[in-house]
Order: sequence, then structure tokens, then C-alpha cells
Amino acid sequence: MTSLETWLNQATRHLSIDSAAQVRSEIQEHYQSALEAASSSGASAKDADQTAIAALGDAKLANRQYRRVLLTSAEARLLRDGNREARFVCSRSYARPVYLAISLVALCAAIGTLHSGFLDVACAFLVVATGTGFMFAAPILPVYTPLCARVVRCFKWLVLLSAIGFVYGPNTLKWSWLLFSCLGPLGWAEWTRFSIRRKLPVSQWPRHLYL
Amino acid sequence: MNFKGTLPTLILQALTQEQSHGYLIAQQIKDRSKGVLDFKEGTLYPALHKLENEGLVESFEAVENGRVRRYYRITKAGRAALAKDRAEWRELSQAVTMILGKA
Repeated sequence: MTSLETWLNQATRHLSIDSAAQVRSEIQEHYQSALEAASSSGASAKDADQTAIAALGDAKLANRQYRRVLLTSAEARLLRDGNREARFVCSRSYARPVYLAISLVALCAAIGTLHSGFLDVACAFLVVATGTGFMFAAPILPVYTPLCARVVRCFKWLVLLSAIGFVYGPNTLKWSWLLFSCLGPLGWAEWTRFSIRRKLPVSQWPRHLYL
Repeated sequence: MNFKGTLPTLILQALTQEQSHGYLIAQQIKDRSKGVLDFKEGTLYPALHKLENEGLVESFEAVENGRVRRYYRITKAGRAALAKDRAEWRELSQAVTMILGKA
């Protein structure tokens, strides 16, 4: 394996396939120019190679910096697979009213059980109503600008945290281990989406990045 | 010397005269600073990608000596950002000179 190949392997670690290809192409191009410049000044092939690699610097540092600006493999996976729920709701015309009906039924059930005095059951129904309502309604909301998207996301988290606080009440802290383990994957996905939003220009955002 | 955080500004400055590719940008910065500003060239491209993500530079491919190369050019927003950075730098360097000059 050449020294350039070793450098590239380190610099492209955990980057998505497309990002890694882009890095390889630009660094190979840069390396070639450096080799030509060194050769034209009379350096031997070995010296030229060593000078060019040394000028590139630490591959691990470059990798850290690349991961801040280019998509990583995990982000590319989320970008590819994250649209499933939106597609699931939006691709079937009959599905939307059915999904929204689930939320309405849950809401009615919450009101009914609250009237009957079953507060705990009412809370559970209410959480189901808000959760499913938001999940199914979000893909069809007219959200097309980053500002609108930010408002919707804030509202989403507000609804979620309020629902948790409402259900668990003063025992929220006691059940925090359960909440953390349940919300962990959701939080991770949200953090990854935040990272993708910083890296991709708004014109390239897929629909689910807005939500 | 590697003055942390100045690389994006130096890249924008290097692109004000003409569009350029990565290797040429790196050499321009080193030559113009007479070798004082020495940075690792592997960190140039992440900085260029960041500037591109922010819309301060744009890239395109062009053929040079039979080789396809990625060129970068500064955008209108990039020129505005550079003017702002330049003003801030002048203010900062004047302030530091005032303090160090008295010592």
C-alpha cells in the first residue's frame, strides 16, 4: 500500500461513500500537483512523495475536519432511510384520513375515560393521540422553509416533553432511566439530522430534514 | 506559524483575484506570507467545503492540461464576508499593536 493510500484510508474513515470518493479525488489531484512541483525542482521520486505526504499533514486531523463538513456513513444512512415514515403516509391517498382518524379516536377515548374518572387511562390515550397525530400529520404539513421547520421541530419536542411530564407527573425523575433509554435513539436521530442540516445546503434538504 | 481560525479568510482572499484550485490556493497563501503562514494542506479542503456549504465559495470542474480539476471561485456573499473579516482583523491587529507597541 502506498503512503498516499494509507493517508487516504485514515482521512476517509467513517465518511459516506460519496464523501470518501470526493476526498480521494481532491487529495489525489493535490498530491499529483505537489509531485509535479517537487519533480520539476529536481527532487527524486521518493523525496517528492515524502514531501507531498508531509505537506498534507496529519490524516487523523484531516479526518476529524472532514467529518465536520462532509456526510459520515451514519448520516448518509439516516438520510437514505429516514424518509420511510413520510413516504409511508404520503404515498397512499387512503392512508392519511385513516391515520388521522386513529389520533381522533384516541383523543375521543381520552376525553371519554377522563369523564369516567380513569385519569391514568385518559393520560395514556392522550399521549397516543398527540404522538400519532403529530407523527402522521407532520409529513403533510406545509413546511417548506428552514424557519417554519425550526418552529415545527420546537413544537414537536415541546409536545413530546409535555406529554411525558403529563403522564409521569412528579415521578418523571424517578422514571428518568426508562425515559433516557426510550428517548435515546430519538435524540440520536435528531442530533444526526441537526448535523446533516449544517452540512447540506437548504436546496438539497430532503423533506424529512424539515421535520 | 498557524494562526488558528484565519484559514477561511485567507482562502477567500486568495480567491478574490481569480478562480483557483486547491493546490494553487495553498501555494498562494504560503508564497504571499513568505512561508510564515504554514498550514497542513490536508486541512485546506475541509475549510473549502465549509466555505462552500456556507455559500461563500462555489466549485466547478474544469480541464487543465488534460486533467479534470476542481476549481473554486468566491461568491458575492463570500466577498461581503471577506470585507467584514478584513475590517475585524484590522481592528484587532491595531489593538494588539497598540498594546505590544507600548511594551
